[in-house]
Formats: sequence, C-alpha cells, structure tokens
Amino acid sequence: MPLAQPVLCKRIPTYPWGDPKDRQYVGYDQFTATGGYVGLTKALAMAPKAVIDLVKEAELRGRGGAGFPAGLKWSFLPPEDGQRRYLAVNADESEPGTFKDRLLIDFDPHLLLEGIAIAMHACRLDTAYIYIRGEYHAQAKTLQRAIDEAYAHKIFGEGSRLGQINALWPNCYVHRGAGAYICGEETGLLESLEGKRGWPRIKPPFPAVAGAFARPTIINNVETLAMVGPLLDQGPTWFKSLGKGRPDGVPASVPASFGPKLYGISGHVNRPGVYEENLGIKLSTLIEDHAAGMLKGKKFKAAIPGGISMGVLGPDEYHAELDFDIGRKHNCLGLGTAGVIVMDQDTDMVAVARNIARFFAHESCGQCTPCREGTGWMYKVLTRVEAGGGTLDDLDLLLEVSASMGAMPGTTICGLADGANWAVRTIVNKFWPEFEARVAQTRSNRVSLAVVGATH
Amino acid sequence: MAWIAKNSAGATIERRSEPYLTPVLKAKLEADVLPRYPTKRAALLPVLHAVQHEHHWLPAQALEEIAAFLDLAPSQVLDTASFYEEFWLNPKGKYLIMVCQSLSCELMGQTGLLGKISRKLGIAPGQTTPDGKYTLMTAECLGSCGSAPCALVNEVLHENIHADNFERILDTLE
Ligand SMILES: Cc1cc2nc3c(=O)[nH]c(=O)nc-3n(C[C@H](O)[C@H](O)[C@H](O)COP(=O)(O)O)c2cc1C
Ligand code: SF4
Ligand code: FES
Repeated sequence: MPLAQPVLCKRIPTYPWGDPKDRQYVGYDQFTATGGYVGLTKALAMAPKAVIDLVKEAELRGRGGAGFPAGLKWSFLPPEDGQRRYLAVNADESEPGTFKDRLLIDFDPHLLLEGIAIAMHACRLDTAYIYIRGEYHAQAKTLQRAIDEAYAHKIFGEGSRLGQINALWPNCYVHRGAGAYICGEETGLLESLEGKRGWPRIKPPFPAVAGAFARPTIINNVETLAMVGPLLDQGPTWFKSLGKGRPDGVPASVPASFGPKLYGISGHVNRPGVYEENLGIKLSTLIEDHAAGMLKGKKFKAAIPGGISMGVLGPDEYHAELDFDIGRKHNCLGLGTAGVIVMDQDTDMVAVARNIARFFAHESCGQCTPCREGTGWMYKVLTRVEAGGGTLDDLDLLLEVSASMGAMPGTTICGLADGANWAVRTIVNKFWPEFEARVAQTRSNRVSLAVVGATH
Repeated sequence: MAWIAKNSAGATIERRSEPYLTPVLKAKLEADVLPRYPTKRAALLPVLHAVQHEHHWLPAQALEEIAAFLDLAPSQVLDTASFYEEFWLNPKGKYLIMVCQSLSCELMGQTGLLGKISRKLGIAPGQTTPDGKYTLMTAECLGSCGSAPCALVNEVLHENIHADNFERILDTLE
C-alpha cells in the first residue's frame, strides 16, 4: 500500500502530493501553524523514561545506515549523575547516493530541531551538536537560521521549555565538518567533534557510556530524529500501521520495518529525487511510479539499495522490497540509507566496481591495515581489469581481499571496510560473467584462499 | 587520502609580522565559539574554518597562532588540519571547482564533464591556473546525486551540469 499522507514531507512538496518546484524554507511560525512542536509538547508532559519507552514500543529504527532501534539505543544510557551528557546529530551525509537529510535541513529544519529537543528531554542531554558535512555550506546556514528562531521561541537556551537538564539550559549548536566521509561513522564523528582527526574508536566503550568528551552521548541520524516529533504526536499504533511488519515466523525480538522512509533515487531514471514511502516499497514501484521509469526507456540492469556500501541488486532483483530485511533476502549488506542508485542495460559493471573501490580507497582513514591496503588493492586491481589487463587471478584476488576485510570478519575497527567489501564482492559475484569476459582466461597455479573456501 | 604522510619536517615556515588570527577574530571566537565546547580543542575545526574563511588557506604560521590560541601544540593542529580535505595547507585558486566523481555523477556523465572543464581551463584536476584564478579538484559525493552531475564552486553548488551550461557557470566567475 502506498503511503497515503506524507509525514516527513508534510511541509516539503514532493510527488505525488506536491511539486518540488514549490519547496521553500519553513520557518518557526509556519511550522507551528501546521502542527509543529506538538510532539514536543506531548513529550514534555511525559516523564523522560516514558518517552524512551514510547520510541521503543514504536520500534523506530535508525535511518542513518545501520538500522539500530532508536529507543533501545536511548535506553543504554547510564543513570544520570548530574554531569554533562551530549547529543551528536549525524548530518554528515556523505554516502554516495544519499541526499535525503539535506532535503529535511533545506526545507523543514524545525522538524529536526523538534526531534532533537524531544531526544534531549527523554535522554537528559544538555547539549546537542549537529555535525554537518563541510560541503553543506547553504545547509549549515539554514540550520543556524532555524536554530536562532528556536532559541527566540524558547525551545533551546535560557528559559527553555525543556527546563534545565543536568543543571544547564539546553543548547543546540551547528558543528561543521571539513570533508571526510569517515566522520559519518559515529565514533569518527565524536573524535572530529573533539577537534581531532576523524579516526573511529575501538568499541567498547560504546558512546552511550563514554562518547563525546568521555561522557554519555547519543548519536542519531537527521532523519531518525526528524521522525520522533510526528511519532510522539501520533503515537506508536499509528507509526506501526505504516511500513512493513516482521516477516512471517520471525520472533518479536527481531525489529521490523515500521513507518515511512525517505528514499533517494538517482542514476538512470527519468525523475530522480527524494520520495517518501512506506518501508517495504518495491524497487520496481519506486522506479516506475515515483521516478517515472528508466531513462530513455532502457532496460533495468542493477541498483544499489541504499548507498554504495550496501552492495548491488541484479537484474532478477528488480522487484526487491526495500526494507530492513533486504540484506537477508537479497544477499546485500542492508537497506543502508535507502539512497537508491539505478543502472541501465548499458552500464559497465566493472567501471561501477572501480568507481566504488576508488571511493573507499580514498576515504579509508588508514588506521586498520586490511582496510587501508585492501581498498587500495581493490581499486588497483579493478583499474587494471577495466583497462583490459586483468586475468582470472585478479578476480580471485578481489574476492579474497574483499572477504577478509571488515568489522564483521573482525579485522577492522569500523564498518567502512565492510561497505567496501560488500560492494565489490556482490558486484563481482552477481555479474561474474561480465567480469570473466573482461579478463584474460589465464590462472596461475597459485591457489586462491577464496576459491578453496578458507575465508568466509 | 587522509593517511598519506605529508612531509613537513625541515620545511621552512614563512612568517609575516601581521597575525592571521587577528585580535578581532580572536575576540569573536572567544565570545561565540569557545563557550560552545567543554574543551578548547573541540573549537579547533570551527577556528580553522574561520581563519580559512578570512585568508582562503591555512599557512603554517596561522596553524601556530591557532595552537597558541587553543593551548595546543602546533603538531596537534597540523595533525587535525592535514586530515581534512577541506583545509588547505597550500594556496588555492580564487575559485575552487570541485567536480563530484562518485557513482551517480559518473553514471550521469561526470567523466566527460571533467575533461571539458579541464581542457577549457588548461589544467588537470589537482592543479591551479597560473593566474591563481581557478583550482580544479575532483570530489566524492556532494549529496546532490538526484541532480547529477554536480560541482561545488567555492560555497555554491551547481546541479545538473551539462557540457554547455558549465561554460555559463565559468563565465559568471570573475
Ligand atoms: C563509514 C561509515 C560512514 C557513515 N556515515 C554516516 C553518515 O554520513 N550519516 C549517518 O547518519 N550515519 C552514518 N553512518 C552510520 C553511523 O555510524 C551511525 O550508525 C548512525 O549515525 C546512527 O544513527 P541512527 O541510529 O539514527 O541511524 C556511517 C557509518 C559508517 C561505518
Ligand atoms: S575500517 Fe578503515 S575507515 Fe574504519 S577505522 Fe579501520 S581503516 Fe579507518
Ligand atoms: S554522486 Fe555526485 S552528488 Fe552524490
């Protein structure tokens, strides 16, 4: 069932409800005149713990890539000790294919600020830093404009409606990054916030226990927080009536895909852009109904479900349902950011893999050898294969290298290496004949570990 | 590639008597930025941004001044500044053109576009024109994939760039 009414895009004209040409900045007055900050009012009438329980009950999953349940994350905070606790809002949005948070910031920033205020109340966080990527110059200014309005209306600052938290008036600041994808990883973000290079930290300790400035810290994505206001306003039952429930036969402990989601769609389609839909919408529906079909009427070949870290869907996965269960069903890493990149029949998958490998080789922070070297090797090998100088050994090597790097195989600190690994591995596996046809059909006697199955 | 070591040992530092971190800027940062953070070091990125905004890039002397201002060692400031691609430790052109080369933009024709700009300016990516007017760079995803290909010119994003409208964008840069 398509989403009947826009939620996150309520004030942002989006097909099919409105025309993107009519989008404009929604300020404090217009926001409150259209039901804004009602969720905050309801939250402030509740005990902080009750707000966390409500978010938990709704099973709101993080929209920043990992899909971790937000309420659960909030409940990991230690009891208050009277000292400072922080909220770090992840507005680093640098995953290729992802441009959804920018839409919220550009046009309805108060929706984000409302979620921030609710999270600060619920989790007893006195200071929020919105970590926004350096390239979002205009967005940083827009956010500041909205924050100034929010201070003027006592959302934040002295005399705030939230009251004092940890004996301080709550504050909300914009903190600009400076061009490093790795600062989107939550602990890389914290290091960067502290004025250091954005090197992800070894966990544990998790940020909820020792995060920014070694104090308890909650990190959430922009879209996750933007969802919190409408959720508090309309309640968990409403939220769970949207999206997609748990797959059959799966225990209740496995989180489902409830609620609406922003889908960014780009690449070879007629009407790229951000659309809001129920979680679980089919890729084919997103392409045909929302993005107005394939560009120049060409045939679908492949799509990336949600940012290039997630791997690829092949031609036979055109009807894949875009929900948090997609990884299990379609052998990819997951839904990620739901930034879908569509590729038509003429796309060279070797070039696609090379482009992706270059991204990760460039953005690896260099701390972990398997990631720093592995991403570099993958890029070099793929460049060679693309240029026509590859052999079957190169393809074996690609699979071997990619299977051995990542936080999931347990060889790296953060998930950047897993993203690189899944992206390259799924493209090579799902488009094997195309890769095979590009290389010389020779294999040395060297036995690849990947081929004998010594690596997973 | 943030992890490539940059040779700084033994480099001579050019100095001038006038500070980069001017008293006016210092006062502004002390009033508006430092109180936001529980540590002085956390103000480093905002301070680097502020100085770069005034001077266009970050000379070594400026890094030393920032270190003194935030009670840090100059090496700590260099360590942080050299990690981030948006901090310029060498002069750059008046107009910094960053062409996105990530997947959506490549699918939509970025490669040809980059070649065209490069030929028009007579420089390869990574270079600055001899008159100091343009620096051409490639960038990774600029968060504008739905309007690919795109490029950032200083602080302004240009979307849906085609071979013909890029010339028009260049023409507006004086
Ligand atoms: C390499 C890497 C880059 C990431 N980049 C982002 C990002 O730009 N924005 C974001 O919200 N999350 C990003 N994440 C995910 C964050 O680590 C974290 O899971 C998320 O911000 C938590 O928020 P959520 O639970 O609300 O989704 C990234 C993760 C990794 C491993
Ligand atoms: S996995 Fe890669 S990006 Fe992550 S910490 Fe290790 S080297 Fe850095
Ligand atoms: S891929 Fe170029 S803006 Fe995202």
